[in-house]
Amino acid sequence: MNFSRREFAVGCSTAIAALAGGRLGGLVFANPADTTPRDILVIVFLRGGCDSLNFVAPTSDQHYADARPDLRVKDGDPNTDTSSGWQMGNPLAQIDFRFHNKAKPLLELYQSGDLAVVHACGLTNGTRSHFDAMDYIERGTPTNKNTSTGWLTRHLVSIGADNGSATGLPAVAAASNVPTALLGSFEAASMARPTDFKLNSHWKYGSDQREALRKFYSGDTALHGAGLRTLDTIDQLQSRPAPDPDVTYPPEARANGLKDSLRTIAHLIKMDMGLQVATVDYGGWDTHEGQTYVFPNQIESLAYTLQTFYNYLSAYHSRLTVVVMSEFGRRLKENESGGTDHGHGGVMLVLGGGVKGGRMYGNWPGLAQASLDNGVDLAVTTDYRTVLSEILMRRLRNPKLGQVFPGTSTYTPLNLVEGTDQTPDFTAGFGGKVFVPLVTR
Amino acid sequence: MPVSRRRFLKASGAVSAATATVTLAQTQGALAADPAFTAQQIAELAPAAAPDLPQIAIVALNRMGYGPRPGDIATFNALGSTPSARLTAYVNQQLSPVDSQDSTCNTKLQNVKLRISYTKNGSPFTEDRTLTSLNKTLAQLWALRSDPAYEERVRPVYEVRLATWLRAVYSKWQLREVMVEFWHNHFNVNAFADQKISATWPLYDKLMRQHWGGNFRTLLEGVAQSIAMQFYLDNASNKTGGPNENYARELFELHTLGSENYFNALYDNWRDVPGATAGQPIGYIDEDVYEAARAFTGWTIADGSWNGSANFPNTGQFTLYANWHDRFQKRVLATELQHDQTPLQDGQKVLNLLAYHPGTARHLCTKLCQRLVADVPPQALIDRAVQAWTANQTKPDQIKQTLKVILLSPEFAESWGQKVKRPFELFAAFLRATQVDFPPGGLFVDDNLSGTVERTGYRLFSWPTPIGHPDTATPWLSSNVMLLRWNILNDMLGRNFWRIPDANPAPFNLRGQIPVSATTSRQIVDFWVNRLLGRTLASNLMSELYDFMSQGSGPDVPPIGDTADLTDRINYLVTLICMTPDFQWR
Repeated sequence: MNFSRREFAVGCSTAIAALAGGRLGGLVFANPADTTPRDILVIVFLRGGCDSLNFVAPTSDQHYADARPDLRVKDGDPNTDTSSGWQMGNPLAQIDFRFHNKAKPLLELYQSGDLAVVHACGLTNGTRSHFDAMDYIERGTPTNKNTSTGWLTRHLVSIGADNGSATGLPAVAAASNVPTALLGSFEAASMARPTDFKLNSHWKYGSDQREALRKFYSGDTALHGAGLRTLDTIDQLQSRPAPDPDVTYPPEARANGLKDSLRTIAHLIKMDMGLQVATVDYGGWDTHEGQTYVFPNQIESLAYTLQTFYNYLSAYHSRLTVVVMSEFGRRLKENESGGTDHGHGGVMLVLGGGVKGGRMYGNWPGLAQASLDNGVDLAVTTDYRTVLSEILMRRLRNPKLGQVFPGTSTYTPLNLVEGTDQTPDFTAGFGGKVFVPLVTR
Repeated sequence: MPVSRRRFLKASGAVSAATATVTLAQTQGALAADPAFTAQQIAELAPAAAPDLPQIAIVALNRMGYGPRPGDIATFNALGSTPSARLTAYVNQQLSPVDSQDSTCNTKLQNVKLRISYTKNGSPFTEDRTLTSLNKTLAQLWALRSDPAYEERVRPVYEVRLATWLRAVYSKWQLREVMVEFWHNHFNVNAFADQKISATWPLYDKLMRQHWGGNFRTLLEGVAQSIAMQFYLDNASNKTGGPNENYARELFELHTLGSENYFNALYDNWRDVPGATAGQPIGYIDEDVYEAARAFTGWTIADGSWNGSANFPNTGQFTLYANWHDRFQKRVLATELQHDQTPLQDGQKVLNLLAYHPGTARHLCTKLCQRLVADVPPQALIDRAVQAWTANQTKPDQIKQTLKVILLSPEFAESWGQKVKRPFELFAAFLRATQVDFPPGGLFVDDNLSGTVERTGYRLFSWPTPIGHPDTATPWLSSNVMLLRWNILNDMLGRNFWRIPDANPAPFNLRGQIPVSATTSRQIVDFWVNRLLGRTLASNLMSELYDFMSQGSGPDVPPIGDTADLTDRINYLVTLICMTPDFQWR
């Protein structure tokens, strides 16, 4: 379902819970003039605050067992006991970390070396508000939620792919609004399917309108140029055949919105439209109550959909990076309603051919009370921007970290993806909120 | 030799890539500093291919309003014998709106209904309700917050939205509507950011309507004390000991001086800001923001919350709460604020310093010229506007006096194609030019109109950040927005867009508006082109339209097809004309 602005404004957890589907956020396409090979980046945002401790679980930690009598992943045999998880190799701090029982496809990706896991990471700002946390993360400025551009927009602008003049289809969102990460993008568009990008017209007069528009927009103002590029994009998308065979999801992948969004992205990649950046929202993670009924389904859908999507794109692995993240993790101690409340440290998954997978990354702070954030939540030991900066640098070949994440002054990669480091440029550039784009004529 | 803007930007290293988001002032500064270009070249900076200048009526009706309704051009032209006499008369009229003369709009506002549906006491509840919240008192609106239905709590925003559309489409006082939109964007608040804001939204709208042409200093204080701004930028919880600088920051950066007057990167001591030691710093630095935040401690809204010793009354009234006020001395813009002033004295002092600052005059006048004339407005015009703004800064009609200078300038009359209609303007212009019964049958089943337009990025009263909608063309010209500019016009032709049952008449009866004397394809096209654009197009483009209309039967005979087919074709002819660049400029 669409995550409308109205629901955002409600600010209550039911709105987030209602987001059980998932949606395509935004897609951004390459500037064909840009020949530097960059990865296609797909961000899957788990809206609502995913319980990282029940997803990638420190099963052998006694504090964990104590705080979670019911809502924890156990260390038994996952083949016979559905409350036990899949043991991961190369864990942090010699702890028996395990994927949730329903996340077996992720174990397979992990073992094949394509999936890396960063734990105890997230936002350095301590907010427990969904909206503030998402805002800070997506704007890429943890101290300022009034920044008028999203981090992905600034990435695109800084590599010259978001200048209002891209040929091909710039950016897309399945819902009515583009996500905050693409806020301020000139090129962010929305679509449920690639074929949606067309002139809606009368069956008999649509092609006449389109042909006439081509004549009307033959001129050399910015407006004329925009019209012609749009017509070209329509033609390109309409003329390319849909990929065959189509992706086939297994029955465990039940979240239709997530499936459809990832299918659209996969199609656009295979149609060779020069996709650069795509974001997908998958909601339903605000599990304040009845977590045992909701969470396993969520995880199962995520794991199977992601694996199917990834395998479908096997020919593109060398230039595909998928990041799964959420606005925060959840409270260590489960609550009285069979759920967990808003917490802090979370987990990020990084998937792709250039990922040094099969390993966990980060610093495990432990779950003893003294180590917890505010005494109650998993601490954040890795800033989410550290992970994204490394991907920007090594996979997206963009060293302008200061533009993408204004205020950062260090580059400390975890070494979780392959690639070359350039000299980081911490110049803040246009990170501010003044929005007076230039008119090119 | 005139240099194209694109070449300028390419050549100017200071503006890396024509893609960067930079301020106008930064751009100008960068260009001026670039030895590759002379002052004369900068002065000659002009669009490479501006469309031809249309008659003054088209310029005025599109830039001081949301485009002509049928008959507007003739009415305008009857105002005087020369273009300048007509413009002068029209500007004078528009600067003195008389509500009682706006009967069509008033009737619409009174009678239009907007459906509300929700579950009430366990059963479905639906009502086709008039816009009852627009004139409610603070007490009545404040009470809405405790309504159990979310739909009732946010209803006022939806009502103001529809009233805004109706006024744009029907009000005779178009300049006022354009200026109300301007001020809403200048003092942007996301109406959905907090339900205290949603419930009382008509009051914030009224503030803009009351002061659209009035005094800036008065408007600034009205905004500072409004429920909407107090909660949107958190000043309601700004108290000594832990001041919240959110409001103060935007007050400097957006509402008054603008970021072009922010010198923090250059100066780390207030004395270093040029002019500071003489008490007239040319700009501000972070310390000014921090100190101003302290000055506004204790400016809050009585919302029933705990204030440290008791609960505030739960009235929604603006309140000065001395216990939260930082009593010590402050320094803002190189001016000392004495210790132990009241919260009102401190806050008003800051507002005075900002409202009367020359940097504010320039920031505001640049934005006004950008709204009314061109994305990159001529410097000479800005200079004259600044003079009027400053000379009238304590007058009750300061803004109108400034508008008069801008609107009666040669730069206003002689520029065209330097602005592209934003989506709201485009669709309002379409509804005006086509004379559609808006909303069809007098009922909005829902606010699909605003909801659909939101997909273009134009979010009426819900732009998420304090800066408001961009007022230059580029963000509104991405392929996605271009496609929506076209598609929404076609979509509006259908019943589905307006949620009208299939049995009802179609929302648009465009064929019925063609005079009986227009029978051939050429005559039909000529009629619509003139109606929608107020002028004709190049002959090759007219031929395209004749071909569209005649479908191969030749322009000088009646178009082929039965009535249903002709109805469709004329509808899509009209949307096609509105899709052309000529309808999209302003």
